[in-house]
Amino acid sequence: MTRSVATAKALKRRPQGLVALAAVGVATIVLAACGSTASAGSSHQHSHAPTHAPATAPAQSPAPTHAPATAPAQSPAPTTAPAHSANPIPPGNGGDGDADNNGGPSDGDGNI
Amino acid sequence: MTDWIARRGWRPLAAIAALAAIAVTVIVFAVPGRSPSGAFPVLHPAAAPASWPHLKLPNGTAVLSYPPSLRPIAGDTDAVSAARLGQGGGFQLYLNATPRQGAERLRDWAAFRLRLLRSDDAVSAREISAAQGVKFRGGTGSCLIDGYVTRIGRHHYDEIACLVQGRTSASVIIAAAPVAEWAQARPQLLRAVAAYLVR
Repeated sequence: MTRSVATAKALKRRPQGLVALAAVGVATIVLAACGSTASAGSSHQHSHAPTHAPATAPAQSPAPTHAPATAPAQSPAPTTAPAHSANPIPPGNGGDGDADNNGGPSDGDGNI
Repeated sequence: MTDWIARRGWRPLAAIAALAAIAVTVIVFAVPGRSPSGAFPVLHPAAAPASWPHLKLPNGTAVLSYPPSLRPIAGDTDAVSAARLGQGGGFQLYLNATPRQGAERLRDWAAFRLRLLRSDDAVSAREISAAQGVKFRGGTGSCLIDGYVTRIGRHHYDEIACLVQGRTSASVIIAAAPVAEWAQARPQLLRAVAAYLVR
């Protein structure tokens, strides 16, 4: 308490400290905003200009097909055999036949 | 400004500059998704070595060539896939070709692919590099190299994913490997992508 009072008094004596703190706060907020904007923007490395006009197609809304509950538990000592812990060959090709329905690499379908 | 410095001294300005530099550093390294990204490698479209087998899409619009160490695996009926599996059954190399099915577009392919991964197969996906106007045998494409973690099993994969537009049709080629094996797998995967033939 005594210390904070002393700090307050010191700040009163040196208002430039307050100015500096305020400026730093503003600068930090502005920079954070710039960083978020940059991360939301494209970071593509365009090696060439696009040469094809985009093809039009009906809008598609990819629907999640995997319930998170099917993921193996994160506990270090599972008491039940985890079905997908060994990056397995797709057992019987579940779902629509994709490897990715079983924890394998994702295929190239558009999720239709 | 000079007057202000004369009145206040240089210390507040120095403090602002120092803390701003710290803030910039923290933001650059701490904001998720802002990993350093390199340029997408230049593809040199070329036929695969004679020893590489081929898989033609059922609709006949593209041909996937794959290294002899891979084997065809089952998948969607309109697609073709080949993979090399490890002793434990894990994927070491994975190739897939699938006809374009919906809203995939050259101009925003990278964003589409990442969005699809996140909504379907992956708990996270991040872009490593991307390019448009990539030359293919018989067409031009947009490509993405990304890394993702599967929703099931939490497996970490890196992949090359390209949407390729031919004269009459478009299709997607995927070339993936576990992150731990990516450095070794990458040359073969790039070779397979460069050999992809579209019509």
